[in-house]
This record gives sequence, C-alpha cells and structure tokens, in this order.
Amino acid sequence: MLGYQNNILRINLTKKEAKTEPLRMDWAEKYIGSKGLSIKYLYEELKPGIDPLSPENKLIFMTGPLTGTSVPCSGKLAIAGKSPATGTICDCSIGGHSALKIKYAGYDAVILEGKLDKPGYLFIENDKITFEDAAELWGKGSHEAEAMLIDKYGHDYSVISIGPAGETLCTMACINSDYYRQAGRGGMGAVMGSKNLKAVVVNGTGGVKIPNIKEAVKRIAEIEKEDTLQEDNTFVYDGGTTAFLEACQDGGILPKLNFSDTTDEDWTKYNGEVLLESLEGKRGCGSCGLGCGNFLKMGDVVCEGPEYESISVAGPNAGNSDPVAIVKANQVADDMGLDTISAGDTIIWAMEMTEKGIRDFGVRFGEMDKYIEYLKLIARKEGIGAELALGVKKLSEKYGGTDFAMQVKGLEYPQYEPRGSWGMSLAYAVSDRGACHMRAYAPNEEVFAASIPPYTPEGKGEMVFNLAQWNAVKFSLCICDFWGTLNMELMAELMTLATGKEWTAADMAEVGTRVINIARAFNQREGFTAKDDTAPKRLFNEALKNGPGAGQKIPEEAFEDMKQQYYKVLGWDENGMLPESLLATL
Amino acid sequence: MVITIKLRGSLIKYFNGQREKTIEVPLDCSAEEALKLAGIDWPKIENFGFVAINGKRVMIYDKLQDGDELKAYSKISGG
Amino acid sequence: MSDANVVFTLFFVLRQEHLERMNGTMKRLKFSKEKCIGCQLCAQVCSAIHEGMYIPSKARIGIETYYDRGGSLKYKDSYCTLCGICFKNCPTGAISKDDRIKVDYEACTGCGVCADKCPKKVIKIIEGKAYICDTCDGDPMCVKVCPQGALRFE
Repeated sequence: MLGYQNNILRINLTKKEAKTEPLRMDWAEKYIGSKGLSIKYLYEELKPGIDPLSPENKLIFMTGPLTGTSVPCSGKLAIAGKSPATGTICDCSIGGHSALKIKYAGYDAVILEGKLDKPGYLFIENDKITFEDAAELWGKGSHEAEAMLIDKYGHDYSVISIGPAGETLCTMACINSDYYRQAGRGGMGAVMGSKNLKAVVVNGTGGVKIPNIKEAVKRIAEIEKEDTLQEDNTFVYDGGTTAFLEACQDGGILPKLNFSDTTDEDWTKYNGEVLLESLEGKRGCGSCGLGCGNFLKMGDVVCEGPEYESISVAGPNAGNSDPVAIVKANQVADDMGLDTISAGDTIIWAMEMTEKGIRDFGVRFGEMDKYIEYLKLIARKEGIGAELALGVKKLSEKYGGTDFAMQVKGLEYPQYEPRGSWGMSLAYAVSDRGACHMRAYAPNEEVFAASIPPYTPEGKGEMVFNLAQWNAVKFSLCICDFWGTLNMELMAELMTLATGKEWTAADMAEVGTRVINIARAFNQREGFTAKDDTAPKRLFNEALKNGPGAGQKIPEEAFEDMKQQYYKVLGWDENGMLPESLLATL
Repeated sequence: MVITIKLRGSLIKYFNGQREKTIEVPLDCSAEEALKLAGIDWPKIENFGFVAINGKRVMIYDKLQDGDELKAYSKISGG
Repeated sequence: MSDANVVFTLFFVLRQEHLERMNGTMKRLKFSKEKCIGCQLCAQVCSAIHEGMYIPSKARIGIETYYDRGGSLKYKDSYCTLCGICFKNCPTGAISKDDRIKVDYEACTGCGVCADKCPKKVIKIIEGKAYICDTCDGDPMCVKVCPQGALRFE
C-alpha cells in the first residue's frame, strides 16, 4: 500500500543503536496504523507481566498512512506502551507537528527500547540519528526544555518532551509536544522517564507518496470543503472544547465537588465567553482543518487551552469558579508534564478526604493556590506530593475513601458524570486503558440526543460498542476526534485514495472491532477480567441532587447488565474474555 | 403563551445566524412542537442534538410553560 | 542609436507600461494571519501538485505558526507577493514575470541571488534550481485548501 514509508526506526537506548526495518505490511492491512498498529506491535513484542517502568517496556510513536497528506485532521501521533498507572495497554494521541516530521523523515514509526545509562535526548533528522546528552535539560519544566532545544536547532524541528513528572516516574506523567499538546493519560511520560529519555527532537525533509496524487489532492480538497468544514465540526474553531461546558451543564453531566453532584450555577464565570476574552490566536496541528487550539493570555498566565476536561477538573469539580486559576492550573500541569485529568482528580479526591475528616491532606474545595502548588509537588514527588503521586486507586486502598475514588483500573475519571449518562459508566469500565472518554463518547448518543433516555441500561451495550468501534478505527488512520461527521464511508474513501488499495465501509468497521479486540487481548493476557471493569460505589449508592439527573443513581444490577450486553455484542464470554477462536483471528 | 428559543452550535443557521427568538406557542405545547413552529423540524436534521428547558435537559416531547427558555443544541463530538 | 536599439528600447518601455497597468488589476496571494491555524496544508498541496508527492520542504510557500518559548504566538508568512524583485535581479534572465513568475530551468544556474533578495524569504534553491511560486497557473491550490480562508488570491 502507498501512504506508508514502509520503514520502522527501531532505537535501542541501552546500546545507543538505531536500526531500520520494513513495516509489517501484513499487520498494517489488519490494523492500519496509529492506535491499532501500535497495539499490535506491542501485543507481539512485549512479554506479559513486565514492569512498565523497566527497560523491557517499549514506547512506540506510530503514524498512519494518512499522516503527512492533505487529509484534514490527520496530523496526530499515536504514543503507546504498557501503562505504569494501570498495567493495561495504553495508547495516546498527541497533536502538534511531530507526527508529520517523523513521517517526512522517512519513518512510519519510532520504537524506543531499553534505557539510556544517563539522561539524554534523541535527535532525528531524516536518516541522521544521534544520542545526545540531556544533563542541562533534566529537571527543567517541559516548556523550558522545549525552548532550549528549539533555540539550539530552530523552529523546523518538533520536540517531544517530558517534564519533571516523567523524570520522577510519576504514573500521572504525560508527554508534551509543541508546548501545549499532550499524550496525556496512563503515565506515558513515566515510561519515557524510566528510559532516561528527556526528549526526542525530530525534523524530516522527505515526502509521502499516494497514488494519482494530483487528482487525489483535488478530491481531498472537496471532502475538506463539503464535510470537514461544515458547521457541525467548525464549532471547534469558534470556541474549541469550551463549547462542551454549556452542553454538559444543561445536560446534567458537568461534575461538581469530586463527582458528588452535577451542574454549577457559577458556570458562566469560567465559560467559553469569559475565557475567550483573552484569546490571542488560534492554532491547529499539522494538516488540521479546524484549529481547536485557543492560545490565551491572562496577564502572565499563558496557555493554549484549557480544554473542557481541564476546565471542569480545576473548576466546578474542585469547587472553584475563578477562570484565571483554571488557566494557571493548566499551564503549570503542562509545564510539569502532568496529566490535568489524573492529577486534578487526585487533588480533588484529597479535598473531599480532608473535608470529610477521613484524612487531612491539607487542601479543601476551592483552595486553588494549594491545588496549583500540589501539582508541582506531585510532579517532583516532594512533600505531600510524594503521597498524592500514587493516584486515587492506590491512595484510597491505603487510606479509605474508595467509594469516591473515581477511577477504573487505576486511571482517573474524565469529566462526565455517569449518573447523568449511564452508558458512560459502561464506557469508562470497559475502555482499554482504564477510565477514558476517548474510546466511547457516550454523552453524544444519550445526553446530547433528543429522545434517548440517559437513565436506563437498555441498549447501552450496543451503543457503547458502536461508539468504541468508530473511534478505534478513526484513531488508527489516524484522524482527529473533532472531525465529528467523519463516517465509515468517508474513511474508506480516504484510505482508498491514500493507499491505492480498495477499502470499504465494512472493512473500516471490521478494523474497528479488531482493534478493540486486540487491546482487550493484551489486557486479558495481563490478567484483566470482568471483575476489573468497575465503577466507584458512589455511582451506585449516592443519588444526584441537581440537574436533569436529580435523583439518579445507577443500580449495580443495571451496571452489570450493561457490561454483559457489551461482552455479548463483541462475542466475549461472561467473564469479559475473548474465546480462543477470536484470539486466533487477531 | 410566549417562550424564548435559543439555538446552539450548527443550529443557528435555522435562525439565519441569530441565536435567539421569542415566539408565541399554544398552551401545553411540547418542545418539539415549539421548534416546528419556529421552523426547526428536528427529525429531519441529521446532527440535531438535544433540548433543555430553563437550563435543564429534557426529552423532546416534554411540555413547556409560559415564559420558559427552550435551548436547542446540535450534537458535538469529542471531549 | 541603431534601429535595433530603438526597437529594443521601445519594446522595454511598452512592456513596462503593460506590466504597470497589469499590476493594478493583477491578482496576488493575500494572507490574513489572524485566520491562520498553522496547519501547513498550503505547503503540503503546493508540493504535492508540483513534485508529485507531499514534501513541504520543497514547497513554494512557507506559512507557519509557532510558539516563541511557549509564551507568544508567532507567524512566519513566506508567500510570493509577485513583487518581482527576483525577476529584476536574476543575472541569467531565467526568471520572467507577467501575472506570475516563471523560471526557465535550462537558464537557471542555481546562483541563489533571487533567494537572497526575496523579501518574503520564500524562494528555495534545491539541487541547483530556483523553486518559485507560479500561482498554479492562476488558480492557486494553496488557496483552495486553506481551511479558514487565511489565504486568498485577489
């Protein structure tokens, strides 16, 4: 197939060796690229049971056949490995321009193995690969490290880096690029830090070939105008993810005070209108058609963002309505290289523990100076941060408060209250990397929907499967989430244009299912079963008091029923496991 | 009775770019009937999302009262 | 003056007047930076159309945005404005200009004077040849794909 470079860069950090090898095109035909293909490589190359923070783990930066082409919204990079937060497979999707640089340098993927003997960074420029010393960068915030590297090499280079959180092996550490883009969840920054790798600097001056390129460029430009740029997607340019705030507020899924309730009558104090008053400019990733990035300046607080997740976790969920504190929290988390969702959820859990008198973590709802201070302490594992860096699962196992430790498999809850969107409790429970909203985005189907009831388990298994299948294949091409109107037919047409192989909508759906299955197979091999597809007891025991979901809590039988529906749709057994016959097809 | 309809997302094209309108509706009117009167035939709109009365999501067939604010959203994808 | 010289001079004067008339109504690329999202689709399709693959390092346009030390948003706006300075300075006459720039690749020696003098820093010398925007024959592809209309041809 065209579109690919048919070339993998394999880096042995222990031996400081760089080798290239052909892409497994037989795997690419089944998993395409980005999400699916990176999971397949890890499934084949990682032995079960390894320590994710050991040199045996691998970190894969994987592009797709569309990367580097003019297909809109195709510029994201998959970063995958075994997660130190959960022990499951974890794939992230990072924006910016590094995916294109890697592809133009001539590689479909970079596979990082082993561990450097001391802190270093990797330099990639086409076929020139060098291992550089990072003594001057180690310990610095991600932003300063990136600035120093760009000063040295210039703006043509893309920098992928970790902050102090990755260096201290904090399992909430993210990987940054372009200052404000993250591979956020699952502790991928700690995997990079465990390899003593501070950064990867990459530039590429080569190209990407697709068949009949002049006709293809024109057809792709048509699709861009007719589909990508329709109003249903351009809300992203207008306000970015701040648009979700009002919808979630009215929809009754905006979480408040560590998911103890929903809706916040103060939401207009920190909503899109307020935040965007400080807008300096818009930014998108490479090949983007929409430009979701809002670059804000509020005095000396500077940040591209904050996204809905970061607004909610540092806003109503923390008992705060000061927009400057929300943006400052985002800026600090980005610089420290910390996932805003996991770190935020941990701090707000600690707030509830303190308020309830179960354990005094020294911080209460609304205390944003402390919240921001705690982000730095967690990243450096200093003071109270050394404890909080454990995350809510381990902390609650130590100190109690498990009922409101909002997590699945060790990954903290994204900002949608499942009692207001029952299918979301299922989506969080069965997601391949722990509680994640980017596998099946249930609210779009059952809350942002005119006549579907959110407060029932009926049909939610199938609903979550359809959403997960769509995202799984979309993120394997890969195309960004925000091209929301992209369907299987369009994906098939784009894949056919780029690769020269005939792909159909049915093929796309099949790939989506296969990707869900291989991720599950990886986890199954690590020992995960239905008992790990959980929900915090808060959802079962405490009813919401406000909003359209007032009075709602999820009966445990309903939750278990939704799980069984989902397993059935996928052909898994009652224990959530793939039968041998299905494993053999992967 | 008189209600205000506010539109969000790609639905604003149905009010020619305006974000809200005040209209007269019969007593006991439902959200979907009110939208129909304002020129929004929701089952025909592919990306129609949901409706909220006075800032609270309701089902499309729920009833309005005098002075209510009816908000209609298009679907928004992502997170 | 010889007859040949008279004809020559007349030709140049008339050509100059024609060009000056044209410059008033001539279409050029225009760029509004506040609409630019830095996607670089412009450079991607420019190179795709001219080089037969997506290779922005060979594009005849170079528009980018970047964060300066994470603290401010900067724009690099290298695009051809049809100012004609390359044409006026080309020592071999390889560059010609009417409503677009054309490069005669037989005559181009890759000396790089055009690239040095280009005020928009958009000309590239690659493998001994000058890569200069040709407006895609009056229908620029970059304008067609620019998602927010930051690039126009008017």
